[in-house]
Amino acid sequence: MSSLRVTSPFKLGLWLLLAPLCLWLVLLIILPHLELLVFSFTEPEDGSFTFGFYQEFFLEPLYWRTFVRTAVMSIMATILTLLIAFPVAFYIAKMLKGRSKGIVFAMCLIPFWVSELVRTFGWMILLRESGVISNFLQWSGMSAGPVELLYTDATIMLGLVYTSMLFMVVPLVSTLDSLDDSYIEAGYDLGGTNWNVLREIVIPHAVPGIVSGCIIVFMLSLGNYLTPVLLGGKDSLWFTEQIYTQFITRFNWEQGSAFGLLLLLLSSLIVWAGLKLSGQSFAKTMG
Amino acid sequence: MSNETTIDLACENISKHFSDFTAVDNISFTIPKGSFFSILGPSGCGKTTLLRMLAGFEQPSSGDILIKQKSMVDVPPNKRPVNMVFQHLALFPTMNVEENIGYGLRRQSVPKNEIVERVAAVLDRVGLAGSGTKRVEQLSGGQRQRIALARCLVLNPTLLLLDEPLGALDLKLREQMKIELKLLQKEFGTTFVYITHDQSEALVMSDQIAVMNKGKFEQVGTPHELYYQPATAFVAGFVGDSNRWQGNIESADSATVLVSTSDGLSFKAKIMGDEAMSAGNRVEIFVRPEAISVNRTAPSTATDNQLVCQVETILFDGAKSQIIAVEEESGGKITVTLPQTSDFANLQQGDTLYLNWSTEQTLCFIDSSRGA
Repeated sequence: MSSLRVTSPFKLGLWLLLAPLCLWLVLLIILPHLELLVFSFTEPEDGSFTFGFYQEFFLEPLYWRTFVRTAVMSIMATILTLLIAFPVAFYIAKMLKGRSKGIVFAMCLIPFWVSELVRTFGWMILLRESGVISNFLQWSGMSAGPVELLYTDATIMLGLVYTSMLFMVVPLVSTLDSLDDSYIEAGYDLGGTNWNVLREIVIPHAVPGIVSGCIIVFMLSLGNYLTPVLLGGKDSLWFTEQIYTQFITRFNWEQGSAFGLLLLLLSSLIVWAGLKLSGQSFAKTMG
Repeated sequence: MSNETTIDLACENISKHFSDFTAVDNISFTIPKGSFFSILGPSGCGKTTLLRMLAGFEQPSSGDILIKQKSMVDVPPNKRPVNMVFQHLALFPTMNVEENIGYGLRRQSVPKNEIVERVAAVLDRVGLAGSGTKRVEQLSGGQRQRIALARCLVLNPTLLLLDEPLGALDLKLREQMKIELKLLQKEFGTTFVYITHDQSEALVMSDQIAVMNKGKFEQVGTPHELYYQPATAFVAGFVGDSNRWQGNIESADSATVLVSTSDGLSFKAKIMGDEAMSAGNRVEIFVRPEAISVNRTAPSTATDNQLVCQVETILFDGAKSQIIAVEEESGGKITVTLPQTSDFANLQQGDTLYLNWSTEQTLCFIDSSRGA
């Protein structure tokens, strides 16, 4: 009986501490998704059960093509971000020491003090037909007329990679920081080349950081709205635009709900597949 | 010239400067093939920097490193016939024992089946046959040591560098590993360069020891030479325990001096070191506790140095027990080894002891610490 008396105040304290998290989870994550689930299966006319909105997704090529395109381009953006961020993170974590390390790390962070919208407009100023790069090309004679660099898939990719960079660099720097220099030195000492040391020692150690960085970047890219809308053209549709259109323009909340859930399903599936492929568990990566 | 081929490592006037600090100051030495060479010194003396230059992780500011008569200065670490056992061993945690040992062989493009054979053979030689599939964290401290050694020795390096690898082990295991390392070195016949700040490790294992201080070698010699004929006051103080006094020379002849210490004691001592000594010089004298003969009754014959003391403290440590005794008139203190004979079984504080030792065992060096 005495143990009950000891544990009960502790339990109350624990619940109080957990309360904000639970509220957040229930009110902002679980309830809206349940609502979406109900919406997506309800016929708006009479409130009866229907598969119609999911059927619509598969019957209309524009929808599922945009869906696949979004997934493929998000995966590409993730890979590209990893390839660019890894050397940057390695340089920050292993080559730099002391003050310069902090400065370079802060330099990666500084662009994120400006809102994403402003940063994206920055790219537009550089890339548009009457923009800085186009003008430079004409001035230097490398191009006869104005060059339009906006509204292509490459531009979207550029924007996505740029937006996600920090979220890849941070987890990579922290895992690479935890790799003792003596492992790298031992790798060279036993006859390894740069490539051997990278492949057999650095990357295996950095896998948890790589996976968690990739998950974050992939989620951010898949759910990004601003970058594809502003930098992509009419032909460069993103699935989040479809959801927005359904909810706001066409006022078809039921269709929008179905799309939203499909996107959730897709991202969960790809993250799961990624974890399986790299032999990592979710708990290990996040711990 | 015929013994040139038996020299595995030669360092010629190597120095290393870090901005305004000199870590290694113009050192030259050679290590014969198959020997166990230790570099002994306090932390910060530059021994790690020296070792890292041998491995290739640091470039000497000047001088040359020759391994088997080939200059190594422009050779990167992965091309040197040198392997290193790191202070914390640096066994790759993402690989099992087999993969760890095979790492170096894979770099040399040894065929897969030969790798398996050689890994098994070296595991057998270090006494860990059959543990190839274990993970590194499943091994005990001593087993990890042996795997780290095996990982290097499987490559048959000309030179094996060891950076205080026993530092992390507990005392019992360290004592055991000292003997094991020495035996493995004998068995493999590889030249070992071992750095440590632990004089006992160096004395037990080495064929040759270099005592290093402030970037320079104070003395290079066998453990026996360092212990009984230290070349400098630093070596005398650093290697083994010593009673140490500072004092002034009262009178001097060609080989011995009479010194009065700042405690007020007076000793006959043997002149050591290169510097000439004359009356009035400030000197340091060293006497090993075990060199002092301890008696409970006054000896019948006179010896060079003798003191009558009272027991102040007994530091009991089994066979290594010591007595701290006080000379009555001057209050000067002296440490002696507690004899393990029945005479001393009931020794108590305040008991009188008659101490005597010879001039030969009283080593006198010019006191350089305060500037003569």
